[in-house]
Amino acid sequence: MKQNTFFLLAGIVGLVEVGLFWLSVVMRNPLIITAGFIMGVGLLYVARMTITDQREDERAVLITQKAGSRTLEVFWVLFFAVSLGSAVIGFSTPLGLPRPRELPHDFPRDEPHLGYFGILQMILLCCIAFLYIGFRVYYARKYGEWETDEE
Amino acid sequence: MKNKIKVFRAMHDLTQEALAQKLNVTRQTILAIEKGKYDPSLELAFKIARFFGVSVEEVFLYD
Repeated sequence: MKQNTFFLLAGIVGLVEVGLFWLSVVMRNPLIITAGFIMGVGLLYVARMTITDQREDERAVLITQKAGSRTLEVFWVLFFAVSLGSAVIGFSTPLGLPRPRELPHDFPRDEPHLGYFGILQMILLCCIAFLYIGFRVYYARKYGEWETDEE
Repeated sequence: MKNKIKVFRAMHDLTQEALAQKLNVTRQTILAIEKGKYDPSLELAFKIARFFGVSVEEVFLYD
């Protein structure tokens, strides 16, 4: 598969995912988008392995590895901190711990409550994507990606 | 780490792109190595030396 064909496929998969998300919301069934997303990403991973015209050498691999590991270092701290905060809300009452304060009247207490945490997670993931791009640019510059020469 | 890739390239009348194609890497990698921005792996260092028909120590200098 050509690299451009892969990008086209990725775009189509993205559109299908948006459709599945909409369907999932309409049918009030989170399993549709969950399963669809895993299958979509799985399909892209398999398709990526079949790309034939990709020129990726050891320097490019090093840049990707460095950026990925640095992003993960930041991500797990941020994600764990947010999850810990959420766990406190979940554990505070049933375990008999003193309730810190009354929740505001307009605080969501019903079913969609969990969904708001999902939105927060998605915002975090978007921030992480930008962070990864930042680290990638940093390491690409460090390892001479945009260096120019007389040739 | 310093290197003499540019010198050997000139001796063999090769462009960065041509050398990169022979070694199956990108031109940017050759440029980054020449400018000392990136130290190649042992494998690539041996490939470069073998391509020019010299030892690794003749191409790369550890300072």
